[in-house]
Amino acid sequence: MTIHLSILLALPLFGAVVGAIWGGRGGRWFALGGSLLALGYAIVAVARFKSGDGLQFVTDETWIAALGVHWKLGIDGLNLFLVLLTTVLFSACTLWAVLGKEDRPTLFYFWFGAAHSAVLGALLAQDLLLFVLFFDLMLVPFFFLTGMYGTTTRADRIRAITKLFIYTLVGSLLMLAAAIATAVLSKGDSSLSFVFSDLAARGGLSSGSQDWIFLFFAAAFLVKMPAFPLHGWMPDGYMSMPLPVLAVFSGVLSKVAAYGFLRVALPLFPEGAQRFQTLLLLIALASILYGSAMAFTTTQTRLILGYSSIAQLGFIVLGIFSLRADGAQGALLQTVNHGIVVAPAFFIVALLAARVGGSEDLRDMGGLAFRAPVLAVMFLIVALANLAMPGSSNFAGEFLILLGVFQAKAAIAVVAFTGVAMASVYTLRLFIRSMHNRVASDAQSREMTLADGLVLVPLVLCIIALALYPQLALDRSEPSVKATLGAQATPALAATEVGR
Amino acid sequence: METLAWLVLILPLAGSLISALGFRALPARAPAVIGTAAIAGAFACTIGVLVKLQDLDAEHRQVVFVAWDYAQTAGVDAKLSILIDPLSVFMMLVVTGVSTLIHLYSATYMKGDRGYARFFSYLNFFVFSMLVLVMAGNFFLLVVGWAFVGAASYLLISYWYRRTTATTAGLKAFVINVVGDVGLVLGTYFIFRHSGTLDFLGTFETAGSQPEGSLTAGCILLLVGAFAKSAQIPLHTWLPDAMEGPTPVSALIHAATMVTAGVYLIARMWPLFEQAPAAADVGAIAGCVTLLVAGTIGLVVTDLKRVIAYSTMSQIGYMIMAVSAGAYAAGLFHLMTHAFFKALLFMAAGSVIAAMAGEQSLDKMGGFRKAMPFTFGCFVIGGLALAGIPPFSGFFSKDEIITLVGERGGWHYALYTAAYVGSFLTAVYTWRMIFRAFWGKAVPEAEELEHGHLHHAEEHRNPATGELEDTDVGFPGPEHHIAERSAAMKVAMGLLAVGAIVGGLLQIPLGGTDVVDTFLEPTFEGSQYAHLHASDGFTTLSLIIGTVLAVGGIAVAYYIWVLKPGLSAQIQARFSGLHRLFANKWYFDELIELVIVRPFSWFGRFGQQTFERVVVDGTFVGGTTLVVRAGSAAVRALQSGLLRAYAALLVLGLVAVVFYFLLQS
Amino acid sequence: MAIGWYLAVSAIVFSIGAGGVLTRRNPLVTLLCLELMLNAANLALIAFSRMHGNGDGQVFAIIVMVVAACEVTVGLGVIVAMHRRGLIIDVDELRELHG
Repeated sequence: MTIHLSILLALPLFGAVVGAIWGGRGGRWFALGGSLLALGYAIVAVARFKSGDGLQFVTDETWIAALGVHWKLGIDGLNLFLVLLTTVLFSACTLWAVLGKEDRPTLFYFWFGAAHSAVLGALLAQDLLLFVLFFDLMLVPFFFLTGMYGTTTRADRIRAITKLFIYTLVGSLLMLAAAIATAVLSKGDSSLSFVFSDLAARGGLSSGSQDWIFLFFAAAFLVKMPAFPLHGWMPDGYMSMPLPVLAVFSGVLSKVAAYGFLRVALPLFPEGAQRFQTLLLLIALASILYGSAMAFTTTQTRLILGYSSIAQLGFIVLGIFSLRADGAQGALLQTVNHGIVVAPAFFIVALLAARVGGSEDLRDMGGLAFRAPVLAVMFLIVALANLAMPGSSNFAGEFLILLGVFQAKAAIAVVAFTGVAMASVYTLRLFIRSMHNRVASDAQSREMTLADGLVLVPLVLCIIALALYPQLALDRSEPSVKATLGAQATPALAATEVGR
Repeated sequence: METLAWLVLILPLAGSLISALGFRALPARAPAVIGTAAIAGAFACTIGVLVKLQDLDAEHRQVVFVAWDYAQTAGVDAKLSILIDPLSVFMMLVVTGVSTLIHLYSATYMKGDRGYARFFSYLNFFVFSMLVLVMAGNFFLLVVGWAFVGAASYLLISYWYRRTTATTAGLKAFVINVVGDVGLVLGTYFIFRHSGTLDFLGTFETAGSQPEGSLTAGCILLLVGAFAKSAQIPLHTWLPDAMEGPTPVSALIHAATMVTAGVYLIARMWPLFEQAPAAADVGAIAGCVTLLVAGTIGLVVTDLKRVIAYSTMSQIGYMIMAVSAGAYAAGLFHLMTHAFFKALLFMAAGSVIAAMAGEQSLDKMGGFRKAMPFTFGCFVIGGLALAGIPPFSGFFSKDEIITLVGERGGWHYALYTAAYVGSFLTAVYTWRMIFRAFWGKAVPEAEELEHGHLHHAEEHRNPATGELEDTDVGFPGPEHHIAERSAAMKVAMGLLAVGAIVGGLLQIPLGGTDVVDTFLEPTFEGSQYAHLHASDGFTTLSLIIGTVLAVGGIAVAYYIWVLKPGLSAQIQARFSGLHRLFANKWYFDELIELVIVRPFSWFGRFGQQTFERVVVDGTFVGGTTLVVRAGSAAVRALQSGLLRAYAALLVLGLVAVVFYFLLQS
Repeated sequence: MAIGWYLAVSAIVFSIGAGGVLTRRNPLVTLLCLELMLNAANLALIAFSRMHGNGDGQVFAIIVMVVAACEVTVGLGVIVAMHRRGLIIDVDELRELHG
């Protein structure tokens, strides 16, 4: 059996469409089936992936000949585990929505499946325009998911999602302009092409145009992540999304932006990346410090996770812009880690809220561990992974990231370590104030149900498995990361090689 | 040997997992059996490892086993590798040996608690973590063990999680330990930058070629890690608060194992520290300062467990000073004897606290001598060993440290003197505690016990805040257990008491025995201090000074707290300023609050309330949406819906096109 | 006769029609004026056809007439329907398309 990535891409959407046509209560099972099939397909792809063989399972069709746009999909070390993460998280969230008490209309599952396909598209695309297209398309389902099924009042959530939409689309607009400029400026004598490999091979961009194109791309990615100070849409957006939606939004969509840096920005604009390395490192550092300080003070559980994501993505950017193989490897590992940690964390928030009468405020929680030992253990594992406890895969990621930054710019790494210490404060604060201390007045401690466990336990097992053997991911991504960074001036890499 | 070595790690982990996963299926008492058996098994395996290690030649007593590559990429070589050498086996023996007894003790002591399975699961996990720490063969795994120990101690300290004081103390311990982890990781980076490997043995080979500035920075950062874990100034504030945990936990973590990790670290890293003498000096001075400061606080604290906690801090100060000054074997020897007598003291204290039905304040205790003879005996043995009275174990180990530090000469004489001051303080505060708890007029609880009836509190109150305890989750259980009435506790304490008495015989100065020295020799072979030995005269002098000071300290304590009961109040009134300084623990908590906690929460609040709203939401998001909205408003104005206006625009456009072509032609 | 005159007439008629479309508010009159514009274009087409001596222009003109007929039919139908429902027949009132 050969792997056709177009099938992988279409499976969730197909399931969702069939489900929507079928309608009624049965429709959701088709959507779930589509997601699970995609998950299975992705697992097969990971199993068959050969480390070091470059781009694999390639589909390459001319799509718009006049513009040189190709329908080119492929998997290499950069996106392999992100694809797996996406299918895992979407399947888990769909399952959760299906099993949940809340009755959600079939259209909900349709949009969910559409989002799944769009994210897969953005990850698999090997053509710049295709990437930009999917990158923007990802947002559309979330617009409807939040606007129609959000948790706040109708007016609030529409305002929030409009803000999110406009803000991120402005970033995307810059990216579109930059993408077109890239293709046109690097065209030279040959015909127009948007395919990554062509663009990278041509590399005919003057350093002046590299600068602004790089900045445009960076702006788009940083908004989507979000990074300080471009995170303004985050608090409102996070408060408005239904939790299964938020789990994938936070777990996956922000990672696509980080992935964008590795896939697009570094290989295509090496000089720009180098010129703005310090700027981006400082932005990342600010994100870490600011996100941690915010997470430390807010009492809204969602926002604690939201701000902690800002800090975590700060670490990821830090690793990428160490412009060294160790840092970038750590960053890539960390994107997977963070996704697999933050999604169960949001599930747990939902379970906690259900035990204190729907409130998600820490001040209304307390003492929930009493009759819920299993839930408490799950939460503890997730919390410890989130604060990058050594022994977790998150620690392996952070260790590599900070090592890379330390070797590139030692001072920044030293300051970034405060973020590590602060992560332990805000994460444990979340854990202690919800699970421990005295029982809050409206709180009812009860164990999670089998249905909750069906979603939560596999995710926690993923965390443990990765913690035991992060080498699995590192081995497969190493050649691709080195190739991506190969466009950078190589002294740093060479030094590492000598160091071995 | 490989299988045995891995078994040492696997058994505690398995015990922890079985107790945790089977908490509903297992019979009620099973976790204690499983837990104790697992640790005892680990101890047996350690002995097996020891035997096989001794079979090897002295030069080859350094074996590395690798399980699998953990994170090996881009020049980083993090593997799951363990290093077996005399030093790690020594630590394994102490950890598993003492832990077995503590498990045995807990099996009865925690009987009344609701979270019995949870407790043993945590306890086993703790031992597992500690073993990872001491067996790690590279920096990465060391950090993992280091942090696991921190997490396990967090879990155990906040074991009674309904107590707000316990959860706060747990958080504090965890965060300070994370600061230590950060120091350790950063130190690793400094060293890795030039060594290019995370492996211990590989790193030590490059120690000589490392640039000194970078190595010193790295070693000082390693010291930060050591200080945080070993509760040395200024990272010590978590240790006294950690007494919120159950008493066996205090014995396990805060006496025998966790706090000695810093000592182990410095001893393990000796090739690096000897190349960075400045860092070693920092360690020696910090250890010395800690032993004095902790001793002074120990004089005034009234909480029984906290007195022992400060005494621990002080004793760890001796060890840190020793290993930083190059007296490795002496420091480790003291580590071992300290594990015996301090665990013994904590267990005995637990017994007294149980007799008081959870009350810990020395102010409310007194006259337990007759009511609890066994506990009293243990306390006396532990107290004599701690004070350093010959021939108890503490005498030999402490005096060896002091002698060897003095032997270094120069400014080390200042440390030498300070160490003797500390040893005098030790004798005073230890015996103050014993005299106050066991001498004097018997309190009602003691009288009740003399009549064969264990005091039972109607309602339990948190000793720290007076808050009513929440007994739902177990604390402190409906029933209490004292050593006099439990065989398991008696066995555990008795064995430790024997250790505390005879442990010193392993290493008798002036040509007696030197078992520890000989055993550890292969590890410290290349050290420039390997053959640091004091002359017989100097040793004799030091031994005499030590004995005199210890006896004098006990005498002073006897005079103040037994002979003249009012005297301590008078002294307090006389030196009220000093007393306030000691009683407030030198204001370290307040300092940390002022320097670190407040600015951060201020920054967070400022961000939350002002910056977020005005700059992020107002300027960035508001600005962008404003521009987009204004643009779309302008475009919308054209869509008037007026048909004739559309037509006019059409015509105007046509005319414009026509004109354009006319002008072109 | 020079083609200029035909074009001049055509242009004048077109302008009258355009002016009518722009100024009148009654849809009937607007339709009539549109018709004028179409016929002005037809006139120009036929003049060019004659000038070139082939029938292409005439074909276009006939198609335009067909389209015009359809358009008038639909337009008149809409107006009559509006009248029956008692709506005001004034193009300025039909502003549902405004943004």
